[in-house]
Amino acid sequence: MIWVETIINGVLFGGLYGLLGVGLALIVGVMRVVNVSHGEFIVLAAFMGVSLAGLVPSVHPLVFLVPIVLVFFGLGYVLQAVLFNKIVSRPDPFAAILLTFGLAVVMRNVMLEGYGADPRTLTAGTLAHASVQILGLSIGILPLLMLGLSTVLFVALQLILTRTRFGRIMRATADNRDVVRLMGVNPARVYNVVMGLALALASVAGVLLAIRSSFTAYTGVERLLIAFEVVVLGGLGSFWGAMLGGILLGVVQLVGLKLDPNAGPLYAHLLFFVGVLLRPNGLLGART
Amino acid sequence: MTLLEVRGLDAFYGDFQALFDLTLEVGSGETVALVGANGAGKTTFLKCLVGLIESKRGEIRFGGDDIATTPAERIAQLGLSLVPEGRLLFPSLTVEENLMMGALNRRPGAWTFDTVYELFPILRERRRQSPNSLSGGQQHMVAIGRALMSNPKLLLCDEISLGLAPMVIEQIYASFARIRAQGASIVLVEQDVKRAAGAADRVYCLLKGRVTLQGSARGLSLDDLSRAYFGA
Repeated sequence: MIWVETIINGVLFGGLYGLLGVGLALIVGVMRVVNVSHGEFIVLAAFMGVSLAGLVPSVHPLVFLVPIVLVFFGLGYVLQAVLFNKIVSRPDPFAAILLTFGLAVVMRNVMLEGYGADPRTLTAGTLAHASVQILGLSIGILPLLMLGLSTVLFVALQLILTRTRFGRIMRATADNRDVVRLMGVNPARVYNVVMGLALALASVAGVLLAIRSSFTAYTGVERLLIAFEVVVLGGLGSFWGAMLGGILLGVVQLVGLKLDPNAGPLYAHLLFFVGVLLRPNGLLGART
Repeated sequence: MTLLEVRGLDAFYGDFQALFDLTLEVGSGETVALVGANGAGKTTFLKCLVGLIESKRGEIRFGGDDIATTPAERIAQLGLSLVPEGRLLFPSLTVEENLMMGALNRRPGAWTFDTVYELFPILRERRRQSPNSLSGGQQHMVAIGRALMSNPKLLLCDEISLGLAPMVIEQIYASFARIRAQGASIVLVEQDVKRAAGAADRVYCLLKGRVTLQGSARGLSLDDLSRAYFGA
Protein backbone atom coordinates (compact mmCIF):
# COMPACT_ATOMS: atom_id res chain seq x y z
CA MET A 1 0.00 0.00 0.00
CA ILE A 2 2.85 2.36 0.83
CA TRP A 3 4.18 1.82 -2.71
CA VAL A 4 0.88 2.70 -4.32
CA GLU A 5 0.92 5.88 -2.27
CA THR A 6 4.46 6.66 -3.39
CA ILE A 7 3.54 6.16 -7.03
CA ILE A 8 0.46 8.34 -6.69
CA ASN A 9 2.55 11.03 -5.02
CA GLY A 10 5.05 10.67 -7.87
CA VAL A 11 2.30 11.29 -10.40
CA LEU A 12 1.12 14.34 -8.48
CA PHE A 13 4.66 15.69 -8.23
CA GLY A 14 5.35 14.84 -11.86
CA GLY A 15 2.51 17.00 -13.09
CA LEU A 16 4.47 19.90 -11.69
CA TYR A 17 7.60 18.73 -13.52
CA GLY A 18 5.52 18.62 -16.68
CA LEU A 19 4.56 22.24 -16.06
CA LEU A 20 8.27 23.12 -15.68
CA GLY A 21 8.89 21.74 -19.15
CA VAL A 22 5.83 22.85 -21.07
CA GLY A 23 6.89 26.49 -21.34
CA LEU A 24 10.21 25.36 -22.75
CA ALA A 25 8.41 22.95 -25.09
CA LEU A 26 6.27 25.81 -26.37
CA ILE A 27 9.32 27.96 -27.13
CA VAL A 28 11.17 25.09 -28.81
CA GLY A 29 8.06 24.08 -30.73
CA VAL A 30 7.14 27.48 -32.13
CA MET A 31 10.46 29.35 -32.35
CA ARG A 32 12.93 26.47 -32.73
CA VAL A 33 15.23 28.06 -30.17
CA VAL A 34 16.19 27.09 -26.63
CA ASN A 35 15.75 29.45 -23.70
CA VAL A 36 18.60 28.62 -21.31
CA SER A 37 17.33 31.21 -18.82
CA HIS A 38 14.03 29.32 -18.37
CA GLY A 39 15.13 28.04 -14.94
CA GLU A 40 16.01 31.52 -13.72
CA PHE A 41 12.55 32.78 -14.65
CA ILE A 42 11.05 29.89 -12.69
CA VAL A 43 13.10 30.93 -9.64
CA LEU A 44 12.35 34.62 -10.17
CA ALA A 45 8.63 33.82 -9.99
CA ALA A 46 9.26 32.00 -6.69
CA PHE A 47 11.15 35.00 -5.27
CA MET A 48 8.31 37.24 -6.36
CA GLY A 49 6.02 34.95 -4.36
CA VAL A 50 8.32 35.35 -1.34
CA SER A 51 8.23 39.15 -1.68
CA LEU A 52 4.44 39.16 -1.94
CA ALA A 53 4.23 36.88 1.10
CA GLY A 54 6.32 39.44 2.99
CA LEU A 55 4.06 42.29 1.91
CA VAL A 56 0.72 40.60 2.58
CA PRO A 57 1.39 37.67 4.95
CA SER A 58 -2.30 36.98 5.52
CA VAL A 59 -2.96 36.04 1.88
CA HIS A 60 -2.47 32.41 0.80
CA PRO A 61 0.49 31.98 -1.63
CA LEU A 62 -1.70 30.26 -4.21
CA VAL A 63 -3.51 33.59 -4.63
CA PHE A 64 -0.21 35.20 -5.63
CA LEU A 65 -0.35 33.13 -8.81
CA VAL A 66 -2.76 35.64 -10.34
CA PRO A 67 -0.56 38.76 -10.25
CA ILE A 68 2.63 36.75 -10.87
CA VAL A 69 1.24 35.08 -14.01
CA LEU A 70 0.15 38.45 -15.39
CA VAL A 71 3.53 40.05 -14.66
CA PHE A 72 5.38 37.13 -16.26
CA PHE A 73 3.23 37.21 -19.38
CA GLY A 74 4.10 40.89 -19.76
CA LEU A 75 7.76 40.22 -18.98
CA GLY A 76 7.95 37.49 -21.63
CA TYR A 77 6.20 39.67 -24.20
CA VAL A 78 8.51 42.64 -23.63
CA LEU A 79 11.72 40.57 -23.46
CA GLN A 80 10.87 38.89 -26.74
CA ALA A 81 9.99 42.21 -28.38
CA VAL A 82 13.10 44.14 -27.30
CA LEU A 83 15.69 41.35 -27.03
CA PHE A 84 14.95 37.82 -28.25
CA ASN A 85 13.39 38.77 -31.60
CA LYS A 86 16.76 40.15 -32.65
CA ILE A 87 18.25 36.65 -32.62
CA VAL A 88 15.34 34.27 -33.24
CA SER A 89 15.49 34.60 -37.01
CA ARG A 90 19.18 33.82 -37.20
CA PRO A 91 19.99 30.50 -38.79
CA ASP A 92 22.54 29.45 -36.18
CA PRO A 93 21.06 28.39 -32.85
CA PHE A 94 24.10 29.45 -30.82
CA ALA A 95 23.06 33.10 -30.83
CA ALA A 96 19.94 32.24 -28.84
CA ILE A 97 21.81 29.92 -26.48
CA LEU A 98 24.51 32.50 -25.78
CA LEU A 99 22.07 35.34 -25.27
CA THR A 100 19.80 33.41 -22.90
CA PHE A 101 22.79 31.91 -21.09
CA GLY A 102 24.12 35.41 -20.48
CA LEU A 103 20.72 36.53 -19.30
CA ALA A 104 20.59 33.54 -16.92
CA VAL A 105 23.95 34.48 -15.36
CA VAL A 106 22.86 38.09 -14.90
CA MET A 107 19.49 37.13 -13.44
CA ARG A 108 21.03 34.58 -11.04
CA ASN A 109 23.43 37.17 -9.65
CA VAL A 110 20.83 39.91 -9.42
CA MET A 111 18.56 37.53 -7.47
CA LEU A 112 21.50 36.60 -5.21
CA GLU A 113 22.14 40.30 -4.61
CA GLY A 114 18.51 41.02 -3.88
CA TYR A 115 17.49 37.98 -1.84
CA GLY A 116 20.73 36.57 -0.43
CA ALA A 117 21.92 32.96 -0.48
CA ASP A 118 19.64 31.47 2.20
CA PRO A 119 17.17 28.80 1.10
CA ARG A 120 13.61 30.09 0.92
CA THR A 121 10.21 28.46 0.71
CA LEU A 122 6.63 29.60 0.37
CA THR A 123 4.50 28.28 3.22
CA ALA A 124 1.03 27.08 2.36
CA GLY A 125 -0.27 27.05 5.94
CA THR A 126 -2.65 24.29 6.99
CA LEU A 127 -3.28 23.36 3.36
CA ALA A 128 0.27 22.01 3.17
CA HIS A 129 -0.53 19.14 5.52
CA ALA A 130 -4.19 18.54 4.69
CA SER A 131 -4.94 15.19 3.09
CA VAL A 132 -7.85 13.07 2.00
CA GLN A 133 -8.33 9.35 2.60
CA ILE A 134 -9.16 7.47 -0.59
CA LEU A 135 -9.42 3.64 -0.39
CA GLY A 136 -7.22 3.69 2.66
CA LEU A 137 -4.60 5.84 0.93
CA SER A 138 -3.61 9.21 2.28
CA ILE A 139 -3.33 11.74 -0.55
CA GLY A 140 -2.22 15.33 0.06
CA ILE A 141 -4.76 17.96 -0.99
CA LEU A 142 -2.12 20.47 -2.06
CA PRO A 143 -0.35 18.08 -4.48
CA LEU A 144 -3.78 17.11 -5.79
CA LEU A 145 -4.60 20.78 -6.38
CA MET A 146 -1.27 21.27 -8.12
CA LEU A 147 -1.80 18.34 -10.47
CA GLY A 148 -5.31 19.63 -11.16
CA LEU A 149 -3.97 23.08 -12.00
CA SER A 150 -1.23 21.62 -14.24
CA THR A 151 -3.80 19.52 -16.08
CA VAL A 152 -6.12 22.48 -16.56
CA LEU A 153 -3.25 24.53 -17.97
CA PHE A 154 -2.21 21.70 -20.32
CA VAL A 155 -5.74 21.25 -21.59
CA ALA A 156 -6.19 25.01 -22.00
CA LEU A 157 -2.96 25.28 -23.96
CA GLN A 158 -3.97 22.36 -26.14
CA LEU A 159 -7.39 23.94 -26.83
CA ILE A 160 -5.80 27.28 -27.66
CA LEU A 161 -3.44 25.57 -30.10
CA THR A 162 -6.00 23.40 -31.85
CA ARG A 163 -9.23 25.38 -31.68
CA THR A 164 -8.46 29.08 -31.86
CA ARG A 165 -7.40 31.46 -34.58
CA PHE A 166 -4.27 32.39 -32.66
CA GLY A 167 -3.43 28.72 -32.12
CA ARG A 168 -3.63 28.19 -35.87
CA ILE A 169 -1.34 31.16 -36.42
CA MET A 170 1.12 29.75 -33.85
CA ARG A 171 1.25 26.34 -35.54
CA ALA A 172 1.58 27.90 -38.99
CA THR A 173 4.38 30.20 -37.77
CA ALA A 174 6.17 27.16 -36.30
CA ASP A 175 5.88 25.45 -39.69
CA ASN A 176 7.23 28.36 -41.73
CA ARG A 177 7.90 31.85 -40.45
CA ASP A 178 8.29 33.32 -43.94
CA VAL A 179 5.12 31.93 -45.47
CA VAL A 180 2.87 33.27 -42.69
CA ARG A 181 4.09 36.74 -43.61
CA LEU A 182 2.44 36.23 -47.00
CA MET A 183 -0.84 35.88 -45.09
CA GLY A 184 -0.32 39.17 -43.27
CA VAL A 185 1.06 37.68 -40.04
CA ASN A 186 4.05 39.34 -38.38
CA PRO A 187 5.99 36.40 -36.84
CA ALA A 188 7.69 38.71 -34.31
CA ARG A 189 4.31 39.53 -32.74
CA VAL A 190 3.42 35.83 -32.59
CA TYR A 191 6.74 35.14 -30.84
CA ASN A 192 6.04 37.92 -28.31
CA VAL A 193 2.82 36.24 -27.23
CA VAL A 194 4.41 32.76 -27.25
CA MET A 195 7.21 33.94 -24.95
CA GLY A 196 4.61 35.61 -22.73
CA LEU A 197 2.66 32.33 -22.47
CA ALA A 198 5.85 30.32 -21.87
CA LEU A 199 7.01 32.53 -19.01
CA ALA A 200 3.49 32.65 -17.54
CA LEU A 201 3.50 28.82 -17.42
CA ALA A 202 7.03 28.84 -15.99
CA SER A 203 5.94 31.25 -13.25
CA VAL A 204 3.09 28.95 -12.18
CA ALA A 205 5.55 26.06 -11.95
CA GLY A 206 8.00 28.27 -10.03
CA VAL A 207 5.49 29.33 -7.39
CA LEU A 208 4.07 25.82 -6.93
CA LEU A 209 7.54 24.26 -6.64
CA ALA A 210 8.50 26.89 -4.08
CA ILE A 211 5.60 25.70 -1.94
CA ARG A 212 6.79 22.08 -2.20
CA SER A 213 10.52 22.52 -1.74
CA SER A 214 13.04 25.18 -0.80
CA PHE A 215 15.01 27.13 -3.35
CA THR A 216 17.88 29.62 -3.66
CA ALA A 217 19.08 31.93 -6.39
CA TYR A 218 21.09 28.98 -7.74
CA THR A 219 18.12 26.62 -8.04
CA GLY A 220 17.43 27.77 -11.61
CA VAL A 221 20.04 25.38 -12.99
CA GLU A 222 18.30 22.36 -11.44
CA ARG A 223 14.91 23.60 -12.61
CA LEU A 224 16.26 24.05 -16.14
CA LEU A 225 17.76 20.57 -16.08
CA ILE A 226 14.42 19.04 -15.11
CA ALA A 227 12.64 21.19 -17.71
CA PHE A 228 15.07 19.98 -20.39
CA GLU A 229 14.68 16.36 -19.34
CA VAL A 230 10.91 16.68 -19.42
CA VAL A 231 10.96 18.21 -22.90
CA VAL A 232 13.50 15.79 -24.38
CA LEU A 233 12.02 12.70 -22.71
CA GLY A 234 8.55 13.60 -23.95
CA GLY A 235 9.63 14.54 -27.46
CA LEU A 236 10.84 18.00 -28.50
CA GLY A 237 7.96 20.43 -28.81
CA SER A 238 5.25 17.93 -27.79
CA PHE A 239 3.04 19.15 -24.92
CA TRP A 240 1.45 15.85 -23.96
CA GLY A 241 4.94 14.37 -24.20
CA ALA A 242 6.09 17.00 -21.69
CA MET A 243 3.27 16.08 -19.30
CA LEU A 244 4.03 12.36 -19.66
CA GLY A 245 7.79 12.93 -19.31
CA GLY A 246 7.20 15.02 -16.18
CA ILE A 247 5.00 12.37 -14.56
CA LEU A 248 7.50 9.60 -15.33
CA LEU A 249 10.34 11.63 -13.84
CA GLY A 250 8.24 12.43 -10.76
CA VAL A 251 7.30 8.80 -10.14
CA VAL A 252 10.83 7.51 -10.64
CA GLN A 253 12.27 10.20 -8.40
CA LEU A 254 9.92 9.45 -5.49
CA VAL A 255 10.21 5.68 -5.86
CA GLY A 256 13.98 6.07 -6.04
CA LEU A 257 13.99 8.17 -2.87
CA LYS A 258 11.96 5.50 -1.12
CA LEU A 259 14.46 2.81 -2.05
CA ASP A 260 17.50 4.93 -1.43
CA PRO A 261 16.84 8.04 0.68
CA ASN A 262 20.20 9.60 -0.22
CA ALA A 263 19.65 9.36 -3.96
CA GLY A 264 18.01 12.77 -4.51
CA PRO A 265 16.97 13.13 -8.15
CA LEU A 266 19.58 10.54 -9.28
CA TYR A 267 17.06 7.95 -10.48
CA ALA A 268 15.10 10.56 -12.42
CA HIS A 269 18.28 11.53 -14.23
CA LEU A 270 19.06 7.86 -14.87
CA LEU A 271 15.58 7.39 -16.32
CA PHE A 272 16.24 10.32 -18.61
CA PHE A 273 19.56 8.80 -19.69
CA VAL A 274 17.97 5.43 -20.47
CA GLY A 275 15.01 7.12 -22.16
CA VAL A 276 17.26 9.07 -24.51
CA LEU A 277 19.26 5.92 -25.31
CA LEU A 278 16.14 3.92 -26.13
CA ARG A 279 14.01 6.62 -27.75
CA PRO A 280 16.21 9.53 -28.87
CA ASN A 281 13.19 11.34 -30.33
CA GLY A 282 11.27 11.16 -27.08
CA LEU A 283 8.18 9.22 -26.04
CA LEU A 284 5.78 11.14 -28.26
CA GLY A 285 8.31 12.56 -30.71
CA ALA A 286 8.37 11.58 -34.37
CA ARG A 287 10.28 8.40 -35.14
CA THR A 288 13.02 8.82 -37.68
CA MET B 1 -4.89 50.32 -66.41
CA THR B 2 -1.58 49.28 -64.91
CA LEU B 3 -1.83 47.25 -61.70
CA LEU B 4 1.82 46.43 -61.15
CA GLU B 5 4.68 48.57 -62.36
CA VAL B 6 8.29 47.60 -61.70
CA ARG B 7 11.10 49.94 -62.74
CA GLY B 8 14.85 49.40 -62.54
CA LEU B 9 14.70 46.62 -59.96
CA ASP B 10 18.00 45.24 -58.65
CA ALA B 11 17.98 42.44 -56.07
CA PHE B 12 20.79 40.90 -54.05
CA TYR B 13 21.65 37.83 -51.99
CA GLY B 14 24.55 39.18 -49.97
CA ASP B 15 27.19 40.20 -52.54
CA PHE B 16 25.51 38.29 -55.32
CA GLN B 17 23.25 40.31 -57.59
CA ALA B 18 20.28 38.24 -58.79
CA LEU B 19 18.25 40.85 -60.72
CA PHE B 20 19.54 43.65 -62.92
CA ASP B 21 17.53 46.76 -63.82
CA LEU B 22 14.35 44.77 -64.27
CA THR B 23 11.35 46.59 -65.68
CA LEU B 24 7.96 44.94 -66.02
CA GLU B 25 4.26 45.81 -66.07
CA VAL B 26 1.08 43.89 -65.41
CA GLY B 27 -2.23 45.39 -66.44
CA SER B 28 -5.49 45.03 -64.57
CA GLY B 29 -7.08 41.69 -65.48
CA GLU B 30 -4.04 40.65 -67.49
CA THR B 31 -2.19 37.34 -67.32
CA VAL B 32 1.55 37.63 -67.74
CA ALA B 33 3.92 34.71 -68.13
CA LEU B 34 7.45 34.95 -66.83
CA VAL B 35 9.66 32.30 -68.38
CA GLY B 36 13.33 31.48 -68.13
CA ALA B 37 15.80 28.76 -67.28
CA ASN B 38 16.74 27.69 -63.76
CA GLY B 39 18.49 30.49 -61.92
CA ALA B 40 17.21 33.21 -64.25
CA GLY B 41 15.78 35.13 -61.28
CA LYS B 42 12.07 34.32 -61.69
CA THR B 43 11.50 33.21 -58.11
CA THR B 44 13.69 36.04 -56.81
CA PHE B 45 11.53 38.48 -58.71
CA LEU B 46 8.33 37.14 -57.15
CA LYS B 47 9.90 37.22 -53.69
CA CYS B 48 10.82 40.87 -54.26
CA LEU B 49 7.21 41.66 -55.13
CA VAL B 50 5.77 40.11 -51.96
CA GLY B 51 8.47 41.60 -49.74
CA LEU B 52 10.42 38.47 -48.80
CA ILE B 53 13.64 39.91 -50.22
CA GLU B 54 14.62 43.14 -48.52
CA SER B 55 17.96 43.64 -50.20
CA LYS B 56 16.74 45.39 -53.32
CA ARG B 57 16.51 48.78 -54.98
CA GLY B 58 14.28 50.21 -57.64
CA GLU B 59 10.62 51.04 -57.87
CA ILE B 60 7.70 48.64 -57.33
CA ARG B 61 4.29 50.25 -57.63
CA PHE B 62 1.21 48.19 -56.91
CA GLY B 63 -2.17 49.82 -57.48
CA GLY B 64 -0.48 53.21 -57.14
CA ASP B 65 1.33 52.48 -53.82
CA ASP B 66 5.11 52.20 -53.75
CA ILE B 67 5.73 48.87 -52.01
CA ALA B 68 9.48 48.53 -52.56
CA THR B 69 10.20 48.95 -48.85
CA THR B 70 6.90 47.69 -47.40
CA PRO B 71 7.23 44.58 -45.18
CA ALA B 72 5.74 41.33 -46.48
CA GLU B 73 2.93 41.19 -43.91
CA ARG B 74 1.68 44.61 -45.04
CA ILE B 75 1.96 43.84 -48.75
CA ALA B 76 -0.24 40.77 -48.22
CA GLN B 77 -3.03 43.05 -47.02
CA LEU B 78 -2.87 45.12 -50.23
CA GLY B 79 -4.01 42.18 -52.35
CA LEU B 80 -0.83 40.59 -53.63
CA SER B 81 -0.81 36.85 -53.12
CA LEU B 82 1.86 34.26 -53.85
CA VAL B 83 1.51 30.56 -54.58
CA PRO B 84 5.09 29.70 -53.62
CA GLU B 85 7.38 27.28 -55.40
CA GLY B 86 7.15 23.90 -53.70
CA ARG B 87 3.71 24.93 -52.35
CA LEU B 88 4.98 25.51 -48.77
CA LEU B 89 1.73 24.49 -47.11
CA PHE B 90 1.53 24.30 -43.32
CA PRO B 91 1.85 20.58 -42.51
CA SER B 92 0.67 21.06 -38.88
CA LEU B 93 -2.65 22.44 -40.14
CA THR B 94 -5.47 20.66 -41.94
CA VAL B 95 -6.39 21.56 -45.51
CA GLU B 96 -9.22 23.76 -44.30
CA GLU B 97 -7.00 25.44 -41.69
CA ASN B 98 -4.49 26.18 -44.46
CA LEU B 99 -7.28 27.92 -46.37
CA MET B 100 -8.24 29.83 -43.20
CA MET B 101 -4.68 31.17 -43.00
CA GLY B 102 -5.20 32.66 -46.47
CA ALA B 103 -8.39 34.35 -45.27
CA LEU B 104 -6.68 36.06 -42.29
CA ASN B 105 -6.51 39.36 -44.18
CA ARG B 106 -10.31 39.48 -44.36
CA ARG B 107 -10.20 41.09 -47.79
CA PRO B 108 -13.74 40.94 -49.16
CA GLY B 109 -14.44 39.38 -52.55
CA ALA B 110 -15.76 36.43 -54.49
CA TRP B 111 -13.41 33.81 -53.00
CA THR B 112 -14.71 31.97 -49.95
CA PHE B 113 -14.53 28.37 -48.73
CA ASP B 114 -17.51 27.58 -50.95
CA THR B 115 -16.12 29.06 -54.15
CA VAL B 116 -12.67 27.55 -53.56
CA TYR B 117 -14.23 24.13 -52.92
CA GLU B 118 -16.31 24.61 -56.07
CA LEU B 119 -13.14 25.32 -58.04
CA PHE B 120 -11.35 22.26 -56.58
CA PRO B 121 -14.09 19.87 -55.35
CA ILE B 122 -11.58 17.28 -54.12
CA LEU B 123 -10.46 19.71 -51.40
CA ARG B 124 -13.88 19.65 -49.78
CA GLU B 125 -13.52 15.90 -49.30
CA ARG B 126 -10.01 16.28 -47.95
CA ARG B 127 -10.58 19.37 -45.83
CA ARG B 128 -9.95 17.66 -42.48
CA GLN B 129 -6.75 15.94 -43.63
CA SER B 130 -3.15 17.00 -43.32
CA PRO B 131 -1.83 18.42 -46.59
CA ASN B 132 1.00 15.87 -46.38
CA SER B 133 -1.53 13.10 -47.08
CA LEU B 134 -2.56 14.70 -50.38
CA SER B 135 -1.11 14.10 -53.85
CA GLY B 136 1.18 16.73 -55.36
CA GLY B 137 -1.57 18.11 -57.57
CA GLN B 138 -4.01 18.34 -54.67
CA GLN B 139 -1.38 20.14 -52.62
CA HIS B 140 -1.05 22.66 -55.44
CA MET B 141 -4.79 23.16 -55.31
CA VAL B 142 -4.56 23.89 -51.58
CA ALA B 143 -1.75 26.37 -52.22
CA ILE B 144 -3.77 28.13 -54.94
CA GLY B 145 -6.89 28.04 -52.77
CA ARG B 146 -4.97 29.49 -49.82
CA ALA B 147 -3.74 32.35 -52.01
CA LEU B 148 -7.22 32.96 -53.44
CA MET B 149 -8.84 33.13 -49.99
CA SER B 150 -7.32 36.60 -49.55
CA ASN B 151 -9.13 37.72 -52.71
CA PRO B 152 -5.98 39.03 -54.37
CA LYS B 153 -5.89 41.67 -57.08
CA LEU B 154 -2.75 39.97 -58.35
CA LEU B 155 -2.05 36.25 -58.02
CA LEU B 156 1.58 35.17 -58.40
CA CYS B 157 2.11 31.49 -59.25
CA ASP B 158 5.61 30.07 -58.99
CA GLU B 159 6.25 26.91 -61.03
CA ILE B 160 2.90 25.35 -60.34
CA SER B 161 3.31 22.65 -62.98
CA LEU B 162 6.60 21.41 -61.58
CA GLY B 163 6.53 17.67 -60.95
CA LEU B 164 2.85 17.21 -61.81
CA ALA B 165 1.21 14.78 -64.23
CA PRO B 166 0.08 16.43 -67.49
CA MET B 167 -3.58 15.78 -66.71
CA VAL B 168 -3.32 17.51 -63.35
CA ILE B 169 -1.53 20.44 -64.98
CA GLU B 170 -4.43 20.76 -67.46
CA GLN B 171 -6.86 20.84 -64.57
CA ILE B 172 -4.94 23.53 -62.71
CA TYR B 173 -4.49 25.66 -65.82
CA ALA B 174 -8.20 25.31 -66.53
CA SER B 175 -8.88 26.91 -63.14
CA PHE B 176 -7.12 30.11 -64.26
CA ALA B 177 -10.06 31.00 -66.48
CA ARG B 178 -12.30 31.05 -63.40
CA ILE B 179 -9.75 33.04 -61.40
CA ARG B 180 -9.47 35.64 -64.18
CA ALA B 181 -13.22 35.82 -64.46
CA GLN B 182 -13.27 37.09 -60.87
CA GLY B 183 -11.11 39.99 -61.99
CA ALA B 184 -7.68 39.00 -60.69
CA SER B 185 -4.50 39.55 -62.66
CA ILE B 186 -2.08 36.64 -62.78
CA VAL B 187 1.68 36.32 -63.09
CA LEU B 188 2.70 32.80 -64.08
CA VAL B 189 6.26 31.72 -63.58
CA GLU B 190 7.11 28.68 -65.69
CA GLN B 191 9.95 26.77 -67.23
CA ASP B 192 7.52 25.26 -69.73
CA VAL B 193 7.41 28.08 -72.27
CA LYS B 194 4.63 26.70 -74.47
CA ARG B 195 2.29 26.04 -71.57
CA ALA B 196 2.89 29.50 -70.11
CA ALA B 197 2.53 31.32 -73.43
CA GLY B 198 -0.70 29.44 -74.12
CA ALA B 199 -2.27 30.73 -70.90
CA ALA B 200 -0.92 34.28 -70.94
CA ASP B 201 -1.61 37.55 -72.70
CA ARG B 202 2.00 38.65 -72.63
CA VAL B 203 5.33 36.96 -72.01
CA TYR B 204 8.55 38.15 -70.39
CA CYS B 205 11.69 36.06 -70.69
CA LEU B 206 14.43 36.33 -68.06
CA LEU B 207 18.05 35.31 -68.45
CA LYS B 208 20.62 35.70 -65.68
CA GLY B 209 18.55 38.35 -63.92
CA ARG B 210 17.76 40.47 -66.98
CA VAL B 211 14.70 40.75 -69.22
CA THR B 212 15.82 39.41 -72.59
CA LEU B 213 12.47 39.41 -74.36
CA GLN B 214 8.98 40.74 -73.90
CA GLY B 215 5.92 40.78 -76.07
CA SER B 216 2.45 39.57 -76.80
CA ALA B 217 2.04 35.83 -76.25
CA ARG B 218 0.41 35.43 -79.65
CA GLY B 219 2.96 36.95 -81.97
CA LEU B 220 5.88 35.22 -80.27
CA SER B 221 8.56 33.81 -82.57
CA LEU B 222 10.03 30.57 -81.25
CA ASP B 223 13.47 31.50 -82.60
CA ASP B 224 13.51 34.80 -80.71
CA LEU B 225 12.23 33.12 -77.60
CA SER B 226 14.79 30.36 -77.78
CA ARG B 227 17.55 32.96 -78.09
CA ALA B 228 16.17 34.94 -75.16
CA TYR B 229 15.79 31.79 -73.06
CA PHE B 230 19.21 30.25 -73.65
CA GLY B 231 21.15 33.43 -74.50
CA ALA B 232 22.61 32.02 -77.71
